[in-house]
Parts: sequence; C-alpha cells; structure tokens
Amino acid sequence: MTGLSLVHAGRPARGMTARGYGAWLGVLGLLLVWEALAHVVSGAFVLAAPTEILAYLVEDRGLVTRALGVTLGNAALGYVFGNLAAIALAALALLWPRSERIVTGLALLVYCLPLVATGPILRVLFGPGAGPQITLAALAVYYTTLIPLLVGLRAAPAGWFDLVRSYGRGRWSELVHVRLMASLPYLFAGLQIAAPAAFLGAMVGEFTGAERGLGVLTVRAIRALDVDMTWGVATVATAVAILAYVGLGMIARRFLRDAPPVILAAPASDTVRDSGSGWKAAIGVTVIALAGWALAFWVFDLNPFFAKGPMDVLDALLLAEDAGATRGTLAVALSETAVYLLPGYFAGLAAGAGLAMLLVLVPVIAGTAMPLAIALRSVPIVTTAPLVVLLLGRGATGTIVLVAVMVFFPTFVACLHGLRQAPGQVLDVFDSFAAGPVSRLVRVRIPAMLPAFFAAARMAVPASVLAVTVVEWLATGAGIGSLMAMSASLSDFDMLWSSVVLVAAISALGYALVGSVERRILRVYAPEQLT
Amino acid sequence: MTPDRLTRRRLLGTGAAALGAGVLGLGPRRLHAQSNVALQLSWLHSSQFAGSYIAMDRGWWSEAGLDVSLLPGGPNAPVEPPVVSGTALVGISAADYTAAAVEEGAPFKILGVAMQKNPFVVASLPDNPVNEPADLVGKRIGMALANTPVLQALCTLNDVDMNEIDIIPTQYSAQPLLAGEVDCLLCWETDLPVAMAIQGIDSVTMLMADHGYAVHSQTYIATNDSIANRRADLVALMSGEVRGWEAYRQDTDAAAELTIEMYPDAGLDLETQKLQAARQVPLMFSDLTESNGFGWWTDDTVAANIETLALLGRTVTPDLWDRSILEEVHGA
Repeated sequence: MTGLSLVHAGRPARGMTARGYGAWLGVLGLLLVWEALAHVVSGAFVLAAPTEILAYLVEDRGLVTRALGVTLGNAALGYVFGNLAAIALAALALLWPRSERIVTGLALLVYCLPLVATGPILRVLFGPGAGPQITLAALAVYYTTLIPLLVGLRAAPAGWFDLVRSYGRGRWSELVHVRLMASLPYLFAGLQIAAPAAFLGAMVGEFTGAERGLGVLTVRAIRALDVDMTWGVATVATAVAILAYVGLGMIARRFLRDAPPVILAAPASDTVRDSGSGWKAAIGVTVIALAGWALAFWVFDLNPFFAKGPMDVLDALLLAEDAGATRGTLAVALSETAVYLLPGYFAGLAAGAGLAMLLVLVPVIAGTAMPLAIALRSVPIVTTAPLVVLLLGRGATGTIVLVAVMVFFPTFVACLHGLRQAPGQVLDVFDSFAAGPVSRLVRVRIPAMLPAFFAAARMAVPASVLAVTVVEWLATGAGIGSLMAMSASLSDFDMLWSSVVLVAAISALGYALVGSVERRILRVYAPEQLT
Repeated sequence: MTPDRLTRRRLLGTGAAALGAGVLGLGPRRLHAQSNVALQLSWLHSSQFAGSYIAMDRGWWSEAGLDVSLLPGGPNAPVEPPVVSGTALVGISAADYTAAAVEEGAPFKILGVAMQKNPFVVASLPDNPVNEPADLVGKRIGMALANTPVLQALCTLNDVDMNEIDIIPTQYSAQPLLAGEVDCLLCWETDLPVAMAIQGIDSVTMLMADHGYAVHSQTYIATNDSIANRRADLVALMSGEVRGWEAYRQDTDAAAELTIEMYPDAGLDLETQKLQAARQVPLMFSDLTESNGFGWWTDDTVAANIETLALLGRTVTPDLWDRSILEEVHGA
C-alpha cells in the first residue's frame, strides 16, 4: 500500500492541501529570513530586502515593464524559431532514420557553442537590431525540444503499430495516429523547459549591444551599485521564467491526460547495437560541421578579420609560429575552468540524486521540495551569477556553487521521477518480505532511477559549461569564459574561434563520455532499459 | 523621431539579417548614396556619449545630409568588427584596443581623440587612500585580470614593484571595495567613483594619466578605405561630433538631461548622469584642445602614447593617427 501511494505521489493526492499550506508557509519563512538578513548586511551593497525590491519595482514599474516587453518579445520569437527548427529536425530524423545520429550529433555540437563567444560573432553577422537576441534565444531552446521529441516519436508501444497495420494502414497513419499522439507529452516537456531558456538567451543577446531590455538594465544596475535595481530586475526575470514554465505546464495539462514527463532524454541505448556506428556518426558530424562552417563563410562573404574558418583555427592551433603560445594560453584557461567545473558538476549530481533519495525515504517534504525545485530550475543564470558571486565571493566557492546549482535542479527532478518509477509489483514483493525503506531504496528504486539520473547527467554537461563560462565572464574574470570575452575585445579572433571550437568539442565529448559510462552501468543494473 | 528610426532599423535587421549583412558587406558606396551612416559606441547609452546626442538632437548631422545611427555597445560588444565590416562608418575605440586590432590586420586609423587623458584611475577610500603610485605597495587592488598589463605599465612608469601589489580578480563593481575585500579598484574616473558618490560614499581617485599613463581613450576610428573614399561623410560626422562636444562642455547638466530624454529605457539616473558628465570634462578638454579644438593631438602626445603602448606590449607607429579629417573639420 505504501509502495503504491509512493508510486503515484506525482499526482494530486489526499494530502495535497496540507502540503500546499506547508509550501506557502515555507516560502513566507524564507522571505522573512531574507528580509532580516538584508537589513543586517545593508551596508555591504550585496543583498536587497524583499520590501526594498518591491518598492523599487513599484517606483520604476514603467521602465521595468518596457524592458520586460522587449526581452520577452525577443525571447518569444527565438522560442518560436528554435522550436520550429527542433520539430523540423525531428521530422527529418523520423522520415529518414539513417540521418538521426548525424542530426542529433550536429544539434548537440551547435547547442554546445559557448554563448559568450557566439554573442559577439552573431552581432557582427546581424549588425544592429535584435538578431543576436532572437538567435541566442532560439539556440538555447532547440536542443531541449528536439531530444525529448525524438524520444516521444518512438515512445508508442509496439502493439499500437500492430493495430494500425492490422487495419491495413501504412506509415502515414502510423505517424498521425500513433507517433504524433505518443510524442505530444514529450513535446510539451521540451516546450516547457525551453521557455526559461529562451528568456536567458534573449537577455545574454542584449549584452552584445542593445538599447533596451532586462539584460541592459542588469548591466546598468550592477555598475551603478544599485542593489535594489539589481535584485529587482533579477526578481522580474526569475518570476517571468518560472511563470512561463508553470503556464506552459498548465496548457500542457489541458491537452494531455497526465503531466508532461520530466525526463528530457532517452537512455543512450542506440549506440549499443553496434559500437562501430558511433564512431562513424562522430566522424560524419565532424565533417559536416566543418564543411558547414566553411560554407557559411563563403555564402555570407564575411570579413577575414573577425571570421575565422576551420583552416584559420587549424593554423592558429598547430601551424602558426605562435601556435605553441596559443595552445599554452588555452590550456591554462581550460585548466582554470576545469577546477571550477568538475567539482561543481559532480557536487550538483550528488546533491540532486542524494536529495531525491532522501525525499523518497522522508516523503513528507517532497510536496514542498518538488515544485520549488522545478521552479528554481528555470531561474536565469545571467541574473543569478552576479548575485551568487556577490553573496559567496569571487573565489572558487561562488563559481562551484553556481555550477552545482545549474546541475542540481534538473538532476533532482529527474532522479525523483526515476525513483518513483520503481515497478509497484516489485515493491509489493519487497513489502511482503517486510523489507525496510532503505533496502527498497537500494535494491529497487535506485536501479529504477539510473536511466533518469544519467539522462540528467548528460544534459547537465552543456548546462554546466554554460554556467561556468558565464560566471567567469561576468563575475570572476578567470578561465576560458574570460579568455573568450577578452579575445573578442582585443580583436584576437583566432583565439576566440579556437576557444569556441575547443569548448564545443569538449562539451560534446563530455556528453558522449557520460553516455558511455551510462551504457556500462545500465548494462549491469538496468539491462531492460537497453533495448 | 530618433527612436522611430532606430526601431525601423531593428526590425529590418531582424528579418533580413542575412541579406542585410550581405548588402552592408558589399560596400560603403551604397550607404553613401543614402548618406546613412552609423557610429558604433563603445558602451551602453549614457552621458559618456552625450556630445553625439547633442549633435543629433540639434540636427547638425541631418543639416549636413547625414542620417546617423548611434549603435550602443555593451559588455559583449566589440567595437572594431562592425567598423571593419562596414556596418559602422566610425567606431569609438581606444588607442590600446585599436593597436591590438591593427596588429590582427584591421586597417584602422585614429581620426580624433575624445578623451585626451585616459580615464583609468585607482579608486580608494579616504581612510586608506592611494594618492600616488607608490601608495599601491602592500595594497590589495581589485581589477579584471585582463587589465594586468595596464597596472604593469603604471608600475614600470613609476618604478613601483608590481610584486608588492596583491591583485584580486574582480569584475566591474565597487562592491568589493566597500565590502573591504580590496583596498582599491582599477576603474574609470567616470563610472564606479560616480556610483559611489551617488550612494553617498566619498572616494579618492588617482588618475593614471597624471602619472605617465598616456593612452588616448574614446578615440574615433575608421578604415583606410573609408578615409580614402568617404571623406565627405567622415568630415560631416566628425564636424557634428566636434560641435556636439563643444556644446556639451558649455552645459553638462543639459547634456545629461538630454541623455535621459533620448534614452528613457536605458535605466539611467539623472543625478548619476550629471555627475558623470561633469567629471568627464577635465579628461576631454585641455590646453591642447583649447588652442586647437576638440579631438586634437600633437606629435608629442602621440609619442607619449607610443611609449605607453609599448609597455602594454603593443608596437605602433605614428601613422596609426591620421589628423587630416580633423584638420578639415577645424579648418572649415
């Protein structure tokens, strides 16, 4: 009985109202502590109290509303373009299954491009206007829509296809009646996570030279030492991102019977079938990426002063006289970054999985923690990065914590979901042997959680690289994030493009590495996932 | 009127971005026919560029047949690429950044110098002040690591051992100084000290230009091609700049008010803008500009720049500066 109620804990249950109160009381308590703390440290120009934030927002409501309108408009356009691109790519992969590996590989590579460097490059490509804002928003969303959609299009049980075929219908009916219907929850899951990401992309785009928007106000407020404005803008950005997430969830529930799934990627099972094709796909992706890069320069006829092609980067890294020095600079920057990135990444994973397990053992707090975590997952990092560094300092702690936070939320949500996926019958068997909650956790729930955990761990690779480079750029001034920003301002475009290539390649390799660890572990603990 | 034009540009830019990049890349001549020119600013809109706003507001550019767009910069918006690509006819750079770009193959010349004195200062609090470079010894200085060569140059110029200074990497905010994490900050005379003053905090600033750090700042740059083929536009643009900045100097408060009026969405505070505008004047105007006009330089100031730039690791020759446009403006 206990087991069953836990399995269904994701749906509204009898205890919901009490838990609802608990959540609101928790938030209220948090606000009170925040208010008190802000008054204690008011001389340090670090923290604004909730009342001060509110006062600022009331006073400058016109300014903030107009800025929000601009950023939201760009984010919405990027959201639409990015998601349409994702749907188009998924359609391509579905209609021509051989291309799927290449499509997802290229999509991952483009998703891994560091926005610190793509921002100024896009500004040069687009000239004045909102082009970079919209493009960065689109780039921030398309991958997180594409991957669940691809999973969804295959998520239908084989029996449904048999049914369609038994009626003598072909692939078209299969697509319309089975695949599209099965993919809807996954599509909505992607669209939901994409909303806050688009907002973040639009804000970062404003840093490349914009006249108005929340990103502009953020830069202004930090330099002006205007703590109320800094926190006020961050609060608005956070609230909008969360509302967009929650709102899309509500729309999704109108269309769907169940809430959208929280897991955004399938187990990395495809490559198991034959290990050779993984390499083939990787080579294919690399070749197409390099060719596309060179082709784009030729089509747009870009000025070689700032537009560096594959050969320029090869030259800068290997052949040029100062190639050794360039490699040295990059190696130092990357190692500085790794010192922050790796501890943050693993701490985030451990904390996410750990808290999820704790919540399964102590289910009472899950009602508060889960919605909070889902909401906080959508907090835009450009606004939080300066705040966290203000609070925790410019040392290693601030950066590591930020990376960990970026990894923590998706991992936590996915793991909690995974833990609840434990088959009820198996849990019943454990019940009948009077096995304790810990034994059930270790023997049933954790194996059931592993696919979700690894899916989160993979998606967390690009997310943590994004986090660390943004923090380095905006707050600490060290590592590869800072090197990219500096190279752009000093016109060292060989260095900038080399950094872009290395960061994207390392992120993509990190993603693949997590995937291979995943396959090894799932083969032992959850072989049924590797079908 | 101005915002409308910019909005239209933005919409065009969004939709036909790829096309636009191609057209703009094709060449300045097409733009010339419409007398449509862009000035790429080095930062977000503020009274830092108020001279340009005055020129636009009073119609001095449109009288001369120019339709000028002022393109804002930002934390991730390098100035040099849009000038190279032709998106902007002129950019607001600084001698050190221009020298770096020229080393990378950009065909730039400096046409005018808005900030005769480099705005870099070491800002500190009155109870633990840095009044001269020797005071830096034993202090913790907060700065972006990217600016290490700047500090190194100051130390070399003043025989200070840089190893005696503790560099704390910070980004651009006065907060670490107020929190006591550092004893001083490397920043601009016109921003963080202004922000502190507005918050009611007195600070001491040591202008690096007063201690041998000679790097022209807020310099106007254009490509050799533009200087050869678009002289009329350049002269008209610079002429408006010169008039604008002379008017700015007459009434910096009015310039700050105009800034707020033209860019109501930039999140600017009037008092901050007024103070910034006033503090900028001694950096931009000197005996040299008094006798020769706004933006001027001499062989001596160029020689001093070349010396300081060498300390920053930049090798430049005097022909990086081209005074012909400015001579035409002031001669007319």
